[in-house]
Parts: sequence; structure tokens; C-alpha cells
Amino acid sequence: MSGHDSHTIAHIHEELHSHLPPEPALRVKALESLLVEKGMLDPATVDAWIEVFTEEIGPKRGAAVVARAWTDPDFKARLLADGTAAITELGFDGWAGGHLKVVENTPDVHNLIVCTLCSCYPHSVLGIPPNWYKTAAYRARAVRDPRGVLAEFGEDVPESVAIRVWDSTAELRYMVLPERPAGTEGWDAAELADLVTRNAMIGTARDLTPGKGEAG
Amino acid sequence: MDGIHDLGGRQGYGPIDVGEPEEPFHEAWEARMLGIVRSMSRVAPWSIDWFRHVRELIEPVDYLTRPYYDQWLQTYAAMMVNSGVATVGELASGKSAAAIPGLAPPMTPDKVAAATRNTARFDRPATEPPRFTVGEAVRARIDANPGHTRLPQYVRGRRGEVTAHHGAHVFPDASAAGEERPETLYTVCFAATELWPEATAAGDRVYLDLWESYLDAA
Repeated sequence: MSGHDSHTIAHIHEELHSHLPPEPALRVKALESLLVEKGMLDPATVDAWIEVFTEEIGPKRGAAVVARAWTDPDFKARLLADGTAAITELGFDGWAGGHLKVVENTPDVHNLIVCTLCSCYPHSVLGIPPNWYKTAAYRARAVRDPRGVLAEFGEDVPESVAIRVWDSTAELRYMVLPERPAGTEGWDAAELADLVTRNAMIGTARDLTPGKGEAG
Repeated sequence: MDGIHDLGGRQGYGPIDVGEPEEPFHEAWEARMLGIVRSMSRVAPWSIDWFRHVRELIEPVDYLTRPYYDQWLQTYAAMMVNSGVATVGELASGKSAAAIPGLAPPMTPDKVAAATRNTARFDRPATEPPRFTVGEAVRARIDANPGHTRLPQYVRGRRGEVTAHHGAHVFPDASAAGEERPETLYTVCFAATELWPEATAAGDRVYLDLWESYLDAA
């Protein structure tokens, strides 16, 4: 079976379940020690990646993309036509950014992103996904009860607004372009970017009106 | 496969933890696991589809209860054992019993900045024209590959409409079995009312990216 046999893997999973240390922190520690001993890992490189995903690659990138689209119609057109090319202009290409599709909210349409089969996410523009995005509850419910999920996030979307759920079943990755809120005329891109939340780019937030989030 | 991972539309799951803190990592070991995966040497040809299939095969109770990065650990450990990179005993003890001959040195920290911009692409030159056109009605097949597949249960047998095609992309069902065989990929739109008996909002839609062999003309 060329090393790709499902039954073999199921058996290995059982063995690992029985023999690995009882706590995840201990399992990860054992894995890291083993990889270092085998010459497959430099722990300083692990530190460097953690720093990158804590300090640099996160939703601030996505917010900069959104703010640019709100203030530059030509960029917005390029972003909606070819998300990957547009984020590459800003230096935000990378992990899971090879086939990015940006979907636009309008007064009549709300978009919501999910991956029901695993946890696909546009890492190079949004960073590390929240845990809830990877839970069984979100993955199960987002496609079937998107309005109920949105209500839990504090967004009551009227039936006059159509909901489009994007289930990331292939290597396309999705990001929502939220609507620019009223009352932000004349704001520059940096001020606008501060309004844009991670959840708005996943689609679990819709209304970015200034001050609204602070009240909650 | 009809596994525990195929969660779309499953019922009985509770509310979402909307108050989760914003920080990317909530436990030090989670960050460590992510960093390990980005840093470790690959000594066997592990595709994204093989990774996903090995994760799907985690025992169902573990799949539903273990934290996400703990599932990564379980998946990488299983791939290492399967590929002969490590034994269960080594992974349990953290001690190496046998060296891997001829291994290149692992990634160093100075390579990380450039590596953040590595962008994998999965489109491939098309060998055949697309069978379906944009606007055409299609029906997702009832039967799916018993190995890895990206055709979720909740659309099987349901009627949708092609809204885009993306040329040929690596076909996951074959890729997870070690064979790269590109196939035309489409975006297919399903009405919520076609998928769910309780759906009432006539305008609501669910979009999926589906390969040609998952579909029949409707």
C-alpha cells in the first residue's frame, strides 16, 4: 500500500494512545527532545517561529488588507479578482496564501468562513486561528445554523440579508471583506485598520461601527 | 472516509466559546507544537492530504476531545512511526534509540523570515477541459472514496450549481494515497433549503470547492 494504509495508521494511533505521556505538554516535550536528539530540529528555530506568529503574522495583516481595499478602489478590484496576487503586493503571501479568495459583504449579503473537514484558515493574513474556529461545534454548526452561530457572536442578521457560508474543502482559502462602517468618512487607512477585527474577516462579526465593540 | 472528522451539519454540539481570549496561543505547549511543525526536518514525503487523512484516523473519542495542537502531535507522531522515522517507544521516552543516517542539518533561526513567505500552490497544468460549465446544475455523488476524500457527507446526493472552475488542482483522494493526479476543481453553490430540512431563508447558500469526480450532471 506504498506506506499509505488506513488500517496501519489506525493501529499506530492506538499504540500511541496507550504509550505516550498522559499530558499534552509532556507529549510535546518528549517529541521535541526526540527530534533534537535525532538531529531533525533546532529549538532556537522553534522559538523564532513562535515569535513570528505572536508578533508579526496575525489579523493586523488582514486588517491592513481590508483598510487598503476600503480606501483604494483599484486595489479592491485586484483583491477581489485575485486575492493571492493582491496580498503578495503587500508582502503578506505565505502559509495557506497560495489560492486566496476574498468574498465581499454588502448590505444584502453576509459571508461566513468555515472548514467542516479540518481547520483550513488563511494563515498568512489572519495568523493562528482561534480555538473556537477549530472546534467540532463551530465546524458542525456554521454550515447548518449560521444565523444561530452569528447570534451567539452578537450579530442578529435579518432574513433580508442572504448568508453565504464558504466551506474550505479544497486548497482555496477564504477571507471576508467586511463593509466599511458609516461615520468613517475621511479616516485614513491606519485608523480604519484599527476597526477591523479578526472575527469580521472570518465572518462571525458584521457591524464594525466605531465604538460598538467597546460597549460589548 | 465516513469519519468523525466530517462534522458539517452534525447536530448536538453546544454553543461557541465566543469569549475566548484573543492571544494566538493559550498554552505554552501549543505554541511549541506549532513551532516544531514549522521547523522540523521532513525525512519522508508527507503531503497535506496524507497529513489530513492521518488526522482523520485518530480514534473518534480522542478526535473530539483532544485539543487541536495535541491532535497535530498525535498526527505527526503517527506519520513518523509509519514512515520509520521514530518508534512509539522513542516518542514515549523522548530518547533516540537509532540515528537517521545522512540527514541534512535542521532549519536554523535565520531561515525563518524567508520561510514565512513560502507559498505552496496546488494548481497544476490541466490535461482535460472542464466537464461542467459555470451556471450548470450538478449533483454531488452519493458514494465517496473510503480512504481520504474532501466530499463532505452533508452535500452527497444534493443538487447545486457550478459558480466557478479553477483549472486542475491536486486531487486529494489520490494524493493521500501517494499519487499526484490533478483534476478540475469547481466551486459549487448549494441552497440551504436543499441541504437542511429546517432551513427557511430562501437566499442562504453554502459554497464548497469540489473536484470533478465528486459530481454528476443534474
